[in-house]
Formats: sequence, C-alpha cells, structure tokens
Amino acid sequence: MADSSGFEPKIVAFLCNWCSYAGADLAGISRMQYPPNVRVLRVPCSGRVDPFFILQALQQGADGVLISGCHPGDCHYLTGNYVARRRFAVLHDLLQFCGLEPGRVTFAWVSASEGERFAQLVREVTDRVRKLGPNRKLKKE
Amino acid sequence: MDKVARLRQRAKELLEKQEVVGVLGYRASSRPGISQVAFITKTEEVDRLIFDATCSQNLANYLLKVKDKGKVAVVARGCDSRSIVVLLQEKQIERGQVYILGVGCEGVIVQGEKSVSCRSCQYPNPVIYDEMLGEEVHFEPEKVEDEFDRLTPDERWQILSAEVARCIRCYACRQVCPNCYCPVCFVDASMPALVGKTHNVSDNMVFHIMRALHMAGRCVECGACHRACPMGIDLMRFNRQVAKIVRERFGLVAGAKPDEMPALTVFKPEDPQEFIR
Amino acid sequence: MKVFLKNEDLKKLLARFVQEGRLFAPVRRCGYSGWDRVSSVDEVVLSREQAILQGEEVNTREPAKIFVFPRSETLFEFEGEEAVETGEIPELVVFGLRPCDGRAMAFLERFFVGNGPEDPRVRQRREKVTLIGVACNSPADSCFCTAVGGGPHENKGLDVLLREVAGGFLGEAVTSKGEELLTGFPEATAQQDAEAEKLKANAEATLALKIDLNRLKAALDNGFASPIWERLTLECVNCGACTFLCPTCHCFDVFDETVRGRKRRSRIWDSCQFTLYSQHASGHNPRLNPAARYRNRVMDKFKYTVDMLGEVSCVGCGRCVRVCPAGIDIRVAVAEILKEAAQDGR
Repeated sequence: MADSSGFEPKIVAFLCNWCSYAGADLAGISRMQYPPNVRVLRVPCSGRVDPFFILQALQQGADGVLISGCHPGDCHYLTGNYVARRRFAVLHDLLQFCGLEPGRVTFAWVSASEGERFAQLVREVTDRVRKLGPNRKLKKE
Repeated sequence: MDKVARLRQRAKELLEKQEVVGVLGYRASSRPGISQVAFITKTEEVDRLIFDATCSQNLANYLLKVKDKGKVAVVARGCDSRSIVVLLQEKQIERGQVYILGVGCEGVIVQGEKSVSCRSCQYPNPVIYDEMLGEEVHFEPEKVEDEFDRLTPDERWQILSAEVARCIRCYACRQVCPNCYCPVCFVDASMPALVGKTHNVSDNMVFHIMRALHMAGRCVECGACHRACPMGIDLMRFNRQVAKIVRERFGLVAGAKPDEMPALTVFKPEDPQEFIR
Repeated sequence: MKVFLKNEDLKKLLARFVQEGRLFAPVRRCGYSGWDRVSSVDEVVLSREQAILQGEEVNTREPAKIFVFPRSETLFEFEGEEAVETGEIPELVVFGLRPCDGRAMAFLERFFVGNGPEDPRVRQRREKVTLIGVACNSPADSCFCTAVGGGPHENKGLDVLLREVAGGFLGEAVTSKGEELLTGFPEATAQQDAEAEKLKANAEATLALKIDLNRLKAALDNGFASPIWERLTLECVNCGACTFLCPTCHCFDVFDETVRGRKRRSRIWDSCQFTLYSQHASGHNPRLNPAARYRNRVMDKFKYTVDMLGEVSCVGCGRCVRVCPAGIDIRVAVAEILKEAAQDGR
C-alpha cells in the first residue's frame, strides 16, 4: 500500500534504562540487524513515560511510538512498571476508542538480555507502521 | 418535611451552634432554570438555599476553595459525594473538615432535558454522608448506546476531531472539575511549553485526551464539565469512555468506596497486559 | 436610502458569496448557533426570527470579533533563516451578526486601529470583511443592549443593516461597502419603513433594563477596595468563557512554538480571568485572588475603556450571562455596585 511510495516511517522508542535500553544495546553490540527507523529515547523507567510524551511524539511527526520497559517483577525501581502498566492500558484503550490505528503505539516488556527479541520487535513494529502509512491523525500542522 | 425545608433547617442549626463556618449549597440565579453555588455563612440567609434539578455544579470543586475558612457543611449528591471521596483519598481535604448533607438526586435538567451524564447515572445517592436530607432515590439508569462504537477508526477520529475543533480553550471544563486542582495545569506549563495554545485541532485533541487520562480512575462522570462547555462539545464522550475502561479493566469506579483507592494509584501483579508484547 | 430585499433576492445575493466560498452565517448546532463557512445557501436560515423558533439562540455563541480578531493567528513563521509565507487574509462576508456585535466591531476597530500604534492585521481583516447585520426583533431575556447605549436596530459598526419585515428585509447601507452591496434594490415603501419602526419599538419595549452609566463609572472610580467583589465572586471558577465569548474583549498573548522544525509565533486570546494573565516573571501575581480578576473585568467594561476611549465596552449582548458555568450575571453585579454606592451616599 504505502510501500511503493518509498515511505519510511519515523518511530520514536522510549526505552527504560535498566532493561529495554540495555537490551537494545545488546542487540547493537551483537551486530544484530534491525531497521534504522527507530529513534531511541532513554528514560530511567517505563514508569517515567507520561502518556503525553507519546501524544507529543505523534504530534511532532512520529509515525509510530514504541514504549518498552522491564518485565513485571523485574523493575529496577521495584514498582515503576506496575504503575506504568495501568496507565498504558488506559492510554492504549482510549487511543483505540478515539480512532488511532492499532499498531501505531506499541507497548512491550524487553529485558536486558533480550537483544534478539528487541531487534525482532523493531522489525515487526517498523513493518506494521510502514503498512499503516504516515501518521496524519495527531500530526500537528 | 421536604428536602429543601430540611436542608434550610439543618443549615440554620449548624450555623447557630457554630458547628460549621458555612454551608456550601445552591441558590437561585437571576435566570430561570439556572442555579448558582451558595456559601451561606449567616443564619438569616439560609432560606436562599435550594435543591432541585437546576443544580448543575459539582460542589466538591468549591470545597477546595472554602476549606481554609474552617469546618464546612456541603450538600452532596451521589456524584458530588464520590468526588469528595476522591479528594479525601488524595488528601486534598480531611474528613473532619466537612459535614456532608447527603441528598438523593434524580438528575440535572438543562434546557428542558436531562443532562447526558445523569441519564446513565448509577449513583444517585451519596456514598458517604453525615446525615441524609430525605429519602434515597431510585431509578433505572438508561443504557447509553449509540452508533459510535460500531464506526470505523477513521470515522470515530473524524467525529472527535470535529468536536474538539470547536474548543476555544477557555478551560471552563477544567475549572469546574473538582479533580483539576493542579496549581499549574499541564497546558499552562511554560519553559518548556508542553501543549500548544493556539486554536489547533491537534493541540485541542491532545488537551482533551490528556485531561481525560488525568481523570482516569478519578472522574465521577458528574457531567459538570459537559454542562460548562460554552461550545457544546461532547466531553462526556471522552470521560465516559475512560471511566468504562477503568471499570472493565480494573473493576473500579471512582470514589464509590472510600477504602478503594483511585485505580491508577494502585496496581496488582496480575493486572491485564494482553496489549503488551 | 432604505431599500427592500425580497427573501429570494437576499438569497441570490448571498448565493454569490457562497459560490466564492466566502460566506459565513449562523448555523444551528445543538442548542445554540455558531459561525460556519456556508457551502450551500440553503443551509442559511435567512429569517433570524425563524431560526430562533427552530432552536437557535438569538445570537451566535462565538462573537463576530473572530472575523477581525481570531482565536489564534500566526504572526510569522521561519525555518532556519528563511521566513515562511503565512496565509493571506481572505475576503469574507458575514451575514447574520446582530447590532450588539456590530457596535463591538466598531469598538474593536477604535481600540486596535484608532488608538496609538495601529494593529495592521485587525485593520486588514476589517477592510476585507463585509458585515451584513440583522436587527433583533425578538431580544432574549439575557439581552440588555439598550442599557449600555445600543439598540436592537442600531447599525453602528456594520456595513449593512437588514431589518426583517414581511416578505423580506429592509436594507440600510452604513458604509460605502454597504452601499455597493445594496445597489440595484428597489426603495422601501413607507409602509415597510413603518413596519420596521414598529418592530424596533416592540423590541426596545422588551429591553427593560436601564443602567445609569455615569453613576456606575463614578461608583467604580471609588469601588476598587469594596468588599463587594468577594461577595459577588465566590462561585466564579475563573475560566475564560465570559472573556472569550465577549464581543469586545480584546486581550491577547503572544505564543512561540516550534512545529516540526518550523518556528512559529502566534497571537492568541488571553483572559484576565486566568491566573497566569497577571503573573509576573518574578512569581508575584497582583491578581491572585479570583475576586480581583472579576473586578478587573467589570472595571474594564464600565470604567477603564471609558477612561481610555470614552466609551463603555459592554454592548449588552448577554453572552457572558448565558455561558457562565457559575451562573454569574454581570447585570446583577452592576446593580449591586450601584446599590452599594447609593448606600454609601456616593
């Protein structure tokens, strides 16, 4: 659909420092190939991610947003990702209700040792967002 | 004795005995069908107090304004009392600061029609009170069903964008809401500014989505925001949906039970996460 | 010269502008009416009396000031070092505004253009918009234009005033733009003129409120420290509804932002009712108290603009009365202020 136009999505990823960012780092060090569409923003914890960041990323031109933290139970700050999980659930459901395409905003738990899984996740997300086409709904003019 | 007579009698007694410094309730305005908030501090003024279907404001909002004056009595319906519970849970007021005059409510009427928030109300009676003025009220809440959920994502976005495109960012919705008490609201943040302040659909959408999210687990669906909006924006569409999400995902209703803290302030290890990869 | 436009003739006249994509008229929304760019002339309920019967309010929610002083407008944009062209100001025709809004437009013009450094954008917008007002035959209970020096059939600030009579409208040109618009229409008969005068008298008769504006000004001159402001505003929530919907409120803020790399400076409405309005960079806020902010609004309408420009800037449209979520009524505030002044022997 959008592939033929050569559209390459811009994806902003919020990765928690202790697990997901480390996982991404591992993917890099292990020379795993994954699409360059992702721009990474390191946060101390997935609990730091304010839903507003996600909306603002889409406003400022991101076509997709990925948010990833430690698996429940493994949070470096013990409970940050539990708090985040509820928040993300509400955001996810509300955005879907409002009519934002499913797949533009993706949540994941990726641990520091899951380098290959991170690479795979990015491949899948990039692919899906590419098929959805450029984000027009929240984009600010 | 009817509710209003009882209200006035009790207000007089509470003031005479100096049990409270003021009674927060409603009074008639200069126009038929519209009420105003009243803060009665003198016994000779208690007859100004009314209670009927024109009383559209959520009094918990005003509690925050007058709490520093001393112990205050407040008239509270189901929704107002739940807002008071949320404020108590969030430590914005203390239980000892309020004397709650509970009253059952059959809904707010605006321009001859029952307010959309009141049609599906499940809590017409207060969940906490120091005394009840009159009997509890019982009625069948309407099921709010419409086409919206069955529309495509694009159609839904189109409708909501058209709604928020009318928003002039007067913040009447925010100002009448008892939950919006942040000293500096996120839209007023500067250095850096977070949300644009111009008449921009994208910014308006972000404002309304974020305000609804800030209300998650706290909004009691009183409809005060909806009634306050001068541009007739369907704000309940957002707030009702968020309350529904919280109810379905976490089994919680804002302010319904004083010992159940607001949904986003607590968590369970087994919380749903099917949407997370 | 007063002309007569049959309903069909007015429709044809407006249809021309609709085709050019530049007609704005009141359009019914749920429970009130708002301004919309009309895409088909049949969307417009020409008879404002009919519109009221169909559930519109006597006046649109947004005041007509949006056509010269919009909610927000881009002042300039640049990317890197290159300025980006911002849109040209379009030519517009507005049908259906009321005499109170017309008077407000005249005030805004004086404030922005005839009062020291001129605001080129407001001037340009006013030059490019044609204001076709429709007189009120059925004022609402929240209307009080006559109390503040206006009237339901006044034409100040408009280009054309249309007065609804049987079969059509009496048309009066106020400016040369208006004269141009009304060329070719037949002269109104004496009967039609008499009918319009009668309708005007009837409308004026319903507007019972009288305000002694001079006494009010004197009361406000001495009323800054009065305890009345606290008493009047416990229920005010300090939103911006009254100021934003007021046809003469003109305060604005300048807002800078970066939108995907492009730097943009905009002018946006500001409200003296917002806490941030009077916030100093030091953190001090001389109007932290909500009562102080409400006082500012009333003072501005009935005293400050009199001091500055010699005229009261409240036009009695009643919008603030209708939309206030707290039910505050500026007429009640004025009455209280006068009552207190009388009691104090002022």
